[in-house]
Amino acid sequence: MTDPRSGVAVPVPAGFRIGRWEVGEPIASGAFGSVYAARAVDGGAAGEPAEAALKFLPTGTRTPRQLHHLRDLAERELTLHRRCRQPRLIRMYEALTVDAPECPDLDGATVLVLERAESSLAALLSLVSLVAPGPLPGAGTLLVQICEGLAQLHGAGWVHGDLKPGNVLLMAQGAGSAAAAGSGAADAVAPDTVRLADFNLAAELEGTHAYSPAFSTPDYTPPELLWSEIGERGRLVRQSADIWAFGVLAHLVLTGTPPFPGGTPAARRDAVLSYAQGRGGLRLSPALPSPWREIVRDCLAPTHEERAAHDAPSLLRRTKEAAGTAAHAPAPRRRLRRAVAAGGAALLLMAASAGVTALLLGGASGAAQESKAPAGYDRCKKGHVCFFTESTGKGDMCSWFGFDEDWRTGTISCPWSGSTPPRSVFNNGVDGSYTAVSYYPGDDFRGRQGCISRLGRTDLPAGQEKLRSHRWVKSC
Amino acid sequence: MFSIIVVPSPCGGSGEQIRLEPGEILGFGRSERRIDGGRQLTIPHCGVSRTAGEITATGAYWTLTNHSARQTYVVENPEGAGEHIKVAPGRIGAPVPFEFARVVLPAADELLTFDVWAPRHDYADPLAGSDGGEVTALAFPLDRTKRYFLVLAALCEPRLSGAPHAPLPTTDQIVERLRPVWPAAGRAAVQWNIDYLAVKLRLKQPPESADCGPRLNGKKESVVSLALRFDLVRENELGVLDGVLTA
Repeated sequence: MTDPRSGVAVPVPAGFRIGRWEVGEPIASGAFGSVYAARAVDGGAAGEPAEAALKFLPTGTRTPRQLHHLRDLAERELTLHRRCRQPRLIRMYEALTVDAPECPDLDGATVLVLERAESSLAALLSLVSLVAPGPLPGAGTLLVQICEGLAQLHGAGWVHGDLKPGNVLLMAQGAGSAAAAGSGAADAVAPDTVRLADFNLAAELEGTHAYSPAFSTPDYTPPELLWSEIGERGRLVRQSADIWAFGVLAHLVLTGTPPFPGGTPAARRDAVLSYAQGRGGLRLSPALPSPWREIVRDCLAPTHEERAAHDAPSLLRRTKEAAGTAAHAPAPRRRLRRAVAAGGAALLLMAASAGVTALLLGGASGAAQESKAPAGYDRCKKGHVCFFTESTGKGDMCSWFGFDEDWRTGTISCPWSGSTPPRSVFNNGVDGSYTAVSYYPGDDFRGRQGCISRLGRTDLPAGQEKLRSHRWVKSC
Repeated sequence: MFSIIVVPSPCGGSGEQIRLEPGEILGFGRSERRIDGGRQLTIPHCGVSRTAGEITATGAYWTLTNHSARQTYVVENPEGAGEHIKVAPGRIGAPVPFEFARVVLPAADELLTFDVWAPRHDYADPLAGSDGGEVTALAFPLDRTKRYFLVLAALCEPRLSGAPHAPLPTTDQIVERLRPVWPAAGRAAVQWNIDYLAVKLRLKQPPESADCGPRLNGKKESVVSLALRFDLVRENELGVLDGVLTA
């Protein structure tokens, strides 16, 4: 921390070596540490990862400032990573300590070697707000995955304490979706995209509550923690604080605006306080579609007691249902695609990484990962319905998570739908209330042709017409 | 969730602090209650009108309404070397930017005062980067130019300078230590700042807190342990005690 204005809390020279890692460009710098890209010196031999994100926490005994709280924060993050490994939490490969007496700023710093993400929800949101303000494409899928992370964290007995878009990381799309992209049919969000990260403020529950350091991000802090009393052990937090933050985040992702009015965080904080005091009602954006409305409303219940009724597993059930039915309105995506096409190069500069645009457009995958691509029906991702140009899941595939009222121009444009009838279909949907798929030769669901139940896979008859729309229904 | 504290003048009135939540309104004047049943600070002086004005807690700051037809009210910043604002007769909702303020009402040949604190003022963390992102904020925004920061630095000095279990300085020792940068410091002023720090840092009152005995000591101890735990004062900031403000 030689120069606070530089915004880099821990300056690490490029090329710096630690363990099997060589430090590259800085990725981010937060209030508590700095994150750098790194690659393995041995090129990722023996199945080890070749790339990682290195998080430097200035905990050295010889750092110029003896920052006690940073040591506490580093300790929290390490403990969580060691005790709690879950698919939706960013993975820690190892933890190292810098041993470099010649660099007193760095010596003794704790280094967490973390899974390398492609981008963050914050970067994606700021990109979308530039090109097409409004709901985020694939919002439903993202929220389901964020909620999964929360359920995993809470299930393991932890409170995140700082859930916000900057701490929701997005991974590069894997090989499976690259195959789907090749056939022109990828959803806006791959099924395995989200990782929750940044556990500096996470706290392990002691019974029903935990003590967290008294830091927070005002826009995501529930009213009972704004200006709350602080004891000697820190601030009392409960899992309902994460539920509030999820409600704020869901509103932002689904509508493009924060749930509370005001042009600055301070103004929004005052709106939250007056809402919590019962002086102002909750006025959610009219753009918030109905099944989400109830979810956001419950997450933003003004007191811990009311919010406690809605735990992460129950929210996960509801977000899955909402995402399966209503979240895939095609309009915003089409708008976005046009806007991005027009915005061109300028956008690429603004995106935190080219991967963000790739992610948004479901285009070619940013990661060139080598692994066995699934074949046939196995290419159809969980939660999707997939149509194929040849029998038994062979040939080109188009797949959808949601409904599509016109395959040629809608949410996902299916390049062969205008010329070729599908020859087989697989409904790889998830459990819920809308599980079957009926399909139509006309757009806007005209002239129902057939229907397939959940997990059904079958060849379509030889005389099958070309199809143009489909939707999820309760049963066939 | 209060954001504003009104401290009546010690002479006359009940002398009890009044805590206001954002949006709450406190009337002040000679009458003992407001017509609309709202909260009222009574200033028992015949030179003050019945409904002299209103204070509205507005988020982290407050506004002053002057109901008087002829008199200008002055709001001073007691630590601001003469810094003040004037609120003209009839002005409604004038915003007051000071963390500490003293409202001065002219009444006959006297000047009546009461204090208003706004302990929730926001300050940026001097170490945080400014990349425009959503910054995880410090929960304790301290103004490093205020006297309370001097007092806090003096309280933490022995433990920051390598003696983690050193006894805390007494109030007299603090007065002595601060003499070069704050010549007018006195016991009462230092004690006042320690009390204010406990409010500012939102210290939880220990359950056994009594009205007398070891309570004050406990408060000082809690303030220091919280400040050290969260690095509210850092070793390189002790320069303020010698008049050097480090960025």
